[in-house]
Amino acid sequence: MGLIARAIEAVGIPTVTISIAKDLTLAVGVPRAIFVKWPLGHPLGEPHNPAQQRTMIFLALRLLQEAQEPGILQEPGFRWRREEYAEPDWSQLRSGPGAHP
Amino acid sequence: MTEKRSLGDRIGNWFFGIPAVAQIWAKLLARDSQAQGDSIPFARLAKPLDQCRAALLTTGGIHLPEQPPFDMENPEGDASYREIPGDVALDQLVITHKYYNHKDADADPNIILPLDHFRDLASRGVIGQVAPRHFSFMGHIEGAQLPILVEQTAPEVAAKLRADGVDFAFLTPA
Repeated sequence: MGLIARAIEAVGIPTVTISIAKDLTLAVGVPRAIFVKWPLGHPLGEPHNPAQQRTMIFLALRLLQEAQEPGILQEPGFRWRREEYAEPDWSQLRSGPGAHP
Repeated sequence: MTEKRSLGDRIGNWFFGIPAVAQIWAKLLARDSQAQGDSIPFARLAKPLDQCRAALLTTGGIHLPEQPPFDMENPEGDASYREIPGDVALDQLVITHKYYNHKDADADPNIILPLDHFRDLASRGVIGQVAPRHFSFMGHIEGAQLPILVEQTAPEVAAKLRADGVDFAFLTPA
């Protein structure tokens, strides 16, 4: 996944990658990543848990806007199946510094 | 399900489904992975998010039933990719990938290809629009398949994203 991100970024298109394999992501060198310690096959979480899935998307889009240098890996620290999720406040992505790069 | 999983595959899926085991696997792969050099390519969003066109990419091995399945016989993986039409209904897609347990992704493909969410974000004006096509790989690429990915198929997809006027890509592994 990281190698694909690098190829896309190399043609000038920004990428944000969900990582479920931290050491591999760091070794490959990915432009921007959100890491969660979740089982393989579940980068956005559990099936039919839209608040969880959308929280991951929200964090990824926020990182896409805010990152000022390559190689940033953020860790929200979500535990597997032991968190409560709410619908993200999407308006945060539309206002504030960094929202319009 | 379009691939056959042996008992060994099933045990492997179960074992690698444990979060801590996935991290050990990542550590071992990282040790063996080729150094990519210390410079990481970096591009910035060229416009505000609500004007951006977004494309999705996954290594979850998802594809249309009429597309050829990924090659599960080659131990070095399959560096090819499948184009997912932007207007596809997620329940039309199938997954060919024996290296992870995709029971949950079969039940709700949004956990590996969040098309429903991105369509909703476009309709709310959080992002501008969803790209006309998305791209699916299978991951677990090694040996002779690795240079095919790095030199051929990944740059090919990058060029297609540019041709589609994509402003950013959201990537999910499996």
